[in-house]
Amino acid sequence: MTGTADIMPVFKHRSVISGITVKEAMQRQVVQLPIDTPVTQCVRTIIKFKANAVMVTGPDQTPAGVISKTDIIGAFYAGLSLGTPISDIMVAPPLFCEVQDTLETAIDQMQKNSIHQIYVSSEKKNHVVGQVAYSDIVGLLYRYCRACIRSGRCLTDMETKEIPRLMVKDVMTSGANVCRASDPITQVIEILSGRKLGAVLVSDHSNQTLGIISKTDLVLSYIRGIPLDEPAGSIMNTPVAICLVDTLLSDAIQKMFLFDIHRIFVKKTDKGPVMGVLSLSDATRFRSGTCRACAAARILDNS
Amino acid sequence: MFAKQVMDKRFHFLHPKQSVVEAIRLFKTAGEKEGKKVFGMMVIDDDDRLVGMLSMFDILLYIQPKHIGILGEMEDISPEPLFESLLSRIKKIRVEDLMSTTLVSVKPDTHLLVVMDIMIRKHVRRLPVVENNRVIGILYRSDLFHLLMGKLIDDGNS
Repeated sequence: MTGTADIMPVFKHRSVISGITVKEAMQRQVVQLPIDTPVTQCVRTIIKFKANAVMVTGPDQTPAGVISKTDIIGAFYAGLSLGTPISDIMVAPPLFCEVQDTLETAIDQMQKNSIHQIYVSSEKKNHVVGQVAYSDIVGLLYRYCRACIRSGRCLTDMETKEIPRLMVKDVMTSGANVCRASDPITQVIEILSGRKLGAVLVSDHSNQTLGIISKTDLVLSYIRGIPLDEPAGSIMNTPVAICLVDTLLSDAIQKMFLFDIHRIFVKKTDKGPVMGVLSLSDATRFRSGTCRACAAARILDNS
Repeated sequence: MFAKQVMDKRFHFLHPKQSVVEAIRLFKTAGEKEGKKVFGMMVIDDDDRLVGMLSMFDILLYIQPKHIGILGEMEDISPEPLFESLLSRIKKIRVEDLMSTTLVSVKPDTHLLVVMDIMIRKHVRRLPVVENNRVIGILYRSDLFHLLMGKLIDDGNS
């Protein structure tokens, strides 16, 4: 008897990023710190370079581990002193992909390990040549879209309307996690770590959105010596970055890149409640550019 | 000639706990007082120890969107909303968060040729002069340039 696989044609799943290698999206600058650096200095480095994680190097400059904002927030929650060396809270070993790996392989590896960035090594083992994060991958796709002859920048309004473009609603995650302004910081950390979030909205008792607390706000609170029982409202940021549900995906991505934010909250109307969130990792998981025509065009190009 | 003969004993400095917004204000007022542009300042702690340097470059690096390069041409992007967002973000940031802590300084008895060599090799505009862990003066590249080149011009004229 012939198996189904022998008689059925096999369709390989294709996406806009099919065939693109890590080398094309990676950043060559890697923020590194020696293993005995105190947590305070590590947080300042993260703030200064707007990094999400820092590579920790051993005495011989080889990669020893990685420390992310999540690890630092864990230290805050555990009440560790600010002089604690980063070797005590780092995660080891750091994860690597190779320069010639496809972006799809790198994304799969990041998703499997619940990380937002992965280091890139050359063929020589333990030689770090860069790093690639979700934002770099979306950035690469967005760069293609922005330079594309079918983009809104190159076409008239009439021509643009004829092209089916992706909207925020096509990619966003519905719902948003919220805490109260009066909740203690400990509770904010529990929400963020329990649900693996990057930020949480802060609202009042009538569910009005007041602000947002991101991991960056929490690591800053740690080095400022703010007690864990302080209310969330005292460390939140305002205003909250908002876009409407019918915004073009390309416009929302542009806003995130310009404002250096990883997520934007979504509303149906300006005055309405928050109904979802669009993050750079959502956009990466979608593995597409910002225009439906693009996927078809690239598949044709490749074939 | 030595550093102590050329250094400026009047210097402006920042405290690590000051906000970056306050530092920007001080850059401006210090420049007005000195009659020259101030591109950076020493950061000195409560014990008069030099703990860092903060320059305009450090602040610009921070406010620059990290992924600005991917946008390519940017003529169609309005910068105003961007600056509003950046200003709200920078309010929480202190001098100690952005200052450079890899410091280069000289002693009062350092020879001017050594000072010049350090300024060229390390691409520094200003060098703190430190004695017994305390800052006693500052050397500016522009002052050193005009001192050395002034002599050259004077000799040429004579």
